[in-house]
Amino acid sequence: MKGYRKYFLNKLGWFSVTLVAAFLLNFILPRLMPGDPVAAIVARLAQGMSDATGVQAIYQQYSDLFGTNKPMHEQFFLYVRNVARGDFGFSFSQYPRTVADVIASSIWWTLILQLPAILVGWLIGNFLGALAAYRKGIFDKILMPFSIFASGLPAFGMAIVLLVVLGVNLGWFPTSGGYGFDMIPNRSWDFLWSAFVHYQLPFWSIVLIIIGGQAIGMRSMAIYELNADYVKYARFMGIKDRKILRYVFRNAMLPQITGLALSIGTMVGGALVAETIFSYPGLGSTILTAVKGGDYPLISATALIITLMVLITTFIIEMLYGFIDPRIKAAQSED
Amino acid sequence: MLSKKWAWFALIVFVGSILLSACEGETVEVEVTTVVKETVIEKETVIEKETVIEKETVIEKETVIEKETVIEVVEVTPVVEEDPTTLPRDETMYFNGLQWGSVSCWNPYSQNCNNAMAIVQGANARVPMFESPYLYNMLDGQQYPLLADGPYEWNDAHTEITFKLKAAAKWSDGTPVTAEDVAYTWASHVKYNTGVGSGNAAYIDAIEAVDDLTVVIKAKLNDEGQAVNPLIVGSYASSNYVLQKAWTQALEERTGEDATEFMADTAEDVVYSGPYHQFFADDQKVVLVRDDNYWGQDASMWGELPTPKYLAHTIFKDNVAGSIALAQGEVDVSQQFNSDIQVLWLNYGLPVSTYLPEAPYGIGASLPTAFYNLNSNGLDQVAVRKAIAMAVDYPTIIANAMTNQSATFDQVPRSLMNPTPGEQAMYDHDAVADLQWAGNDIEGAKALLDAAGIVDSDGDGWREYNGEKLSYIATCPNGWSDWQAAIEVVAAAGKEIGIDITTNFPEWAVYQTIVTKSDAPLPEGYDIFMMWSNGAGPTEPWGRIRNMLSSEWVGMASNWNGNWGQYSNPDVDALIQAIPNESDPDALKEIYTELVRIYLSDIPSFTLMYRPDLFHAVNESVWTNFPHQDDGTDPPVPPMVCVDGWSIACLYNVTLVSQ
Amino acid sequence: MKHTLQQVFRSGKFVVGFSIFVAILLIVIIYPLIITDSPLEIIAQGTFFPPGIYVNAYDSIDSATHYTLKLDDAAAKRIASKLNEDDRLAMQEWLVASGIPENEIDTADTPKLLDQWENNFDPKKKIDGMTNAKRNYYIRLDASVDGILSTEGAIIAAKNPDTGALEEKGIIEQSDYVNVREVPNIRVLLLGTDNFGRDVLTELVSATGVSLQIGFVAGIVATLIGLTLGLLAGYVGGLVDDATMFVANLFTVIPSFVLLVLISFSIGQEKRGATTIAVVIGLTSWVWTARAVRSQVLSLRHRDHVNLSKLSGHSIVHIILTDILPYIASYVVMALILQISSGILTEAGLSILGLGPKTTEVPTLGLMMNWAMIYQSHILGKWWALFPVIFTIALISFSLNLMNTGLDQVFNPTIRD
Repeated sequence: MKGYRKYFLNKLGWFSVTLVAAFLLNFILPRLMPGDPVAAIVARLAQGMSDATGVQAIYQQYSDLFGTNKPMHEQFFLYVRNVARGDFGFSFSQYPRTVADVIASSIWWTLILQLPAILVGWLIGNFLGALAAYRKGIFDKILMPFSIFASGLPAFGMAIVLLVVLGVNLGWFPTSGGYGFDMIPNRSWDFLWSAFVHYQLPFWSIVLIIIGGQAIGMRSMAIYELNADYVKYARFMGIKDRKILRYVFRNAMLPQITGLALSIGTMVGGALVAETIFSYPGLGSTILTAVKGGDYPLISATALIITLMVLITTFIIEMLYGFIDPRIKAAQSED
Repeated sequence: MLSKKWAWFALIVFVGSILLSACEGETVEVEVTTVVKETVIEKETVIEKETVIEKETVIEKETVIEKETVIEVVEVTPVVEEDPTTLPRDETMYFNGLQWGSVSCWNPYSQNCNNAMAIVQGANARVPMFESPYLYNMLDGQQYPLLADGPYEWNDAHTEITFKLKAAAKWSDGTPVTAEDVAYTWASHVKYNTGVGSGNAAYIDAIEAVDDLTVVIKAKLNDEGQAVNPLIVGSYASSNYVLQKAWTQALEERTGEDATEFMADTAEDVVYSGPYHQFFADDQKVVLVRDDNYWGQDASMWGELPTPKYLAHTIFKDNVAGSIALAQGEVDVSQQFNSDIQVLWLNYGLPVSTYLPEAPYGIGASLPTAFYNLNSNGLDQVAVRKAIAMAVDYPTIIANAMTNQSATFDQVPRSLMNPTPGEQAMYDHDAVADLQWAGNDIEGAKALLDAAGIVDSDGDGWREYNGEKLSYIATCPNGWSDWQAAIEVVAAAGKEIGIDITTNFPEWAVYQTIVTKSDAPLPEGYDIFMMWSNGAGPTEPWGRIRNMLSSEWVGMASNWNGNWGQYSNPDVDALIQAIPNESDPDALKEIYTELVRIYLSDIPSFTLMYRPDLFHAVNESVWTNFPHQDDGTDPPVPPMVCVDGWSIACLYNVTLVSQ
Repeated sequence: MKHTLQQVFRSGKFVVGFSIFVAILLIVIIYPLIITDSPLEIIAQGTFFPPGIYVNAYDSIDSATHYTLKLDDAAAKRIASKLNEDDRLAMQEWLVASGIPENEIDTADTPKLLDQWENNFDPKKKIDGMTNAKRNYYIRLDASVDGILSTEGAIIAAKNPDTGALEEKGIIEQSDYVNVREVPNIRVLLLGTDNFGRDVLTELVSATGVSLQIGFVAGIVATLIGLTLGLLAGYVGGLVDDATMFVANLFTVIPSFVLLVLISFSIGQEKRGATTIAVVIGLTSWVWTARAVRSQVLSLRHRDHVNLSKLSGHSIVHIILTDILPYIASYVVMALILQISSGILTEAGLSILGLGPKTTEVPTLGLMMNWAMIYQSHILGKWWALFPVIFTIALISFSLNLMNTGLDQVFNPTIRD
């Protein structure tokens, strides 16, 4: 365990530094965008006002409220202090809603859509890839081109095809919304079923593409492992394939887990395409509207959440890696 | 096995998340109320008194009425209707195209509620929840009484309007709508400098309650003792809501009479007089439910309740999702630009229809206009302005960008008026016929430029003026697809006549900030830019002309009114000033004709197409009897998605298809 | 080197992918030479004309020779095109609802049906339960069947320039045919037009070229940056490595899509040319190349030949270029191909969101899809504006990925099948 502490501390150090830098960037980047969002809000409010002083007064009020008239570093400290308290401020584009409110109402939908989709896609993709590597033959020959095709298809292409073919033309699935257009959210089985049915198309549009990518990756890794010396040796020894395979696939999965961690980390902002095409509720389209509307607090807050999630998941995975694969720990502590 | 564990985990996460996201479930509490009932029992007792007076018996009868008050305490358990978890399809009318984000508040004093189903004041006020005294009908230009009782009247000096309120009008809490409410609403608008207040303060001096049911609107007077603008005064009562004084006072109390707080309050407890009120609102939909105690079912108004029990509006991410829903019957009334909507009924045989069965499918009411930045090199020359305007291929704009949902310039030659017969009759067509170019006139444009001496002197293919190549940027906000397509056509015209016009589509947030800043010359990149015009309303076409041409907007820091090209012509200003106080129709016609003549000669901007105020398409798979041309309604119900102005009569006319 | 190339071209997957890609490239290069129309020219007044051969109607009447063909089924076909089975049933429905007994109506007997229709149809009649849409349908049907039984030809008339009156110029009989070859003005629109009225096929070819360009530039930029940084970080190690990985982490952590969107938005539409977008995409996607190169270099660093070079006193740059680079060259080539593919996809994604290059300058695949979706082509059944574009993108990605897999198999013999 000796080298472990050094590894751990090293990782933790970089984690913290990255966190601070990312935080800073999350704050600065949106504010570099052109356009003055306060002016936009004020312009909306001041419609019909014909005297300039009235408009100016309102502009002053809102600048004070949002703190945009202070110099950048002051704004930053204010921001840090507020975030520590959990106050992300008001959303510019959806004033008077608070950022926390906006995010809270849509984040669950994104999570439900993304997390299972990533997990299921990952599982099925890796399983198929491993199977193809093991069995070879016809199965492999069919799977490979299909996976290459599926992983190369743009996400919106898949989404549009599913929407038009299954939703509009065949009418098997609903075409928009998170739940039935005539339903009010409540805890009934009808509602859950409706939400489930509306879930299908966005879900599968994401999963199918992930399957393609994962299958290819896993197949390569699995083939590589299957040709390793220890496998040949174990086979010669007469050990059953089933036992060997367990070890093979555990080894082959390691790089895939990093990928999984990254996917989970970025999933909060990731379902943008599916949300837009299927009119599915969620954070992705909120981010897009925020960007187009120059809504700094909302952009900063969502980017912060994504940043935190990626950092945390990456950190956890790297820690686990250190446990699982001692070679990595050694390589790191070598420098 | 690893995969199995993961699968279970995923399943739990999935189900758990759905349950958690359904957190907005409402629990219905049943309140048992005690009602004190007073019963008054009258007992009549007749007492006969016999009096003997001088051998005659006089019988006096005295009737004594004894009143006995019996007080009963009765427990009443109200019949609680369980909030449905599914809106019954045959009691709900679905809308789209009005609400594009979640609702922020229910405060009619605020401009920022993003509450499209309930709070929209203006020429055609939206009246499902809050009501105005009058309803404007864009088809015949009349104002019909809603809260008011009978038409309003001007006094002889034409400086005051008087109207009465209906005795039957009531608020949602049962109290009657009084003239005090109207007066207090106006006073609050002024006091807190709301949009309504600041927009009308220059024209309305005061609104007073003469008695409980009589309201007087006093116009601001100019030096000659005339009303500054009687047109605007006359339109106030059909453009703005009446709000309850008691509720407004409660709002003032809790916000400490601070203007910002006052307008930022979410007002969940607002008191309304309209037939519908809030039922449910989240990121996905807004639902209004009918109040069965609505005063309007009184014989003095509609005589019945509106037919749909629920008005629901699903919030779609973009036009496409909304169109799909319309095609599938999940939307009954659609206010969005559904491109090529005729395909839905021609090719797919769906029960979708618009107000008019053929192109232009709707009633054009506003004039999206391309404004020139008069400070750009060359655009200060009338020849250049006219040449570009003449060369644009308008039929292509209308056919491609608007997919024929606009009248063509052959059908309705260009002017300052919208295509409605009412406005078209207000100017003399023959007098300006030679100025009304039809477009697509490349040769004519070239000849015009050549005659003005603006030629290509250095042989690079582009004309020059003052030694500089004529090069402009045509722009409109990104994402406004029909406008973008139109601007592309404008740019293509430039190439034909030797002027380099390229396009650029900044984001709306950036575009509006720049364009509405009229206290400085426009920056580069905004040489030819597109903006809207007023639609139909009681003050039109005067309001539209004023907004497009008046120089009073030049110099404003936040100019949302118009004339963004900063055109200034004192003759035009004088004519615009003269109209509100002119009552002779012939004189008015002359003034309007003169304005059109100046506009078509100076060309500070040019109309690109005609556009309805609101698009109006319906799917008749559940409801039918929507307004359509020649539907026999009198007064005719306008196609304003059944919620604006007189169009709300549609809600009383619709029936279910199966009946 | 030569041996590697030979092996590469023997790999089935690579050859297939390569040939598809080359075919696309050739089409992109050769097509504009044959068909010289500008891809952005608006040729149609109206949206989404269906694919087909467009024959100029005026020329058919005016210039081409008219041939008389007597064909038996011509009249029936003409009637059927205006009055199909559903229309007949609808007519029957209306007639029944207006009071004519059902047994008197025979939908197969056209003259009788039309006769009954003409005598009884009244657009103003109110029928219970008829929607406005249905009423409009009947009005349209009535207008279209007006006179379809007539066997007379159509009269062509022209305005007399002096008197302004119409004068008969000729008659078109119902048996007149023209030979398409003799009509001077024909336009073949294999993929119809889009919402602007542009020829989709020409636009598609041009857009493919632009998107490929963007993909190349983005891929090269990303690979160059990733390669340089990866090499430095991997070989030099220490602080340089930590710093590079730190920056790489930042780029990972700040969601790359948000970053891309922000940058695109900040540049503003004016300066968003195709190349600018390509560079921006390249600048934000170098991270995984850098990481991959770095890990390869890390494992190469301690090989004998490298140690030998170090001992010989060669400079770092020399070592990197001669001892390490050739070994990872294969990997870099694969990475480049992947970056190109992802660059094209990212541009398409940005364009769909409205943040891509300017619309008027050049068409790109993403922009074509964006406009097709905005004008709702996919739900109006105008598939030709959208699906060929999706198919093209998928084909390009597919061919690139196939090439990549082929190369992978050549460079890693273990995963050959």
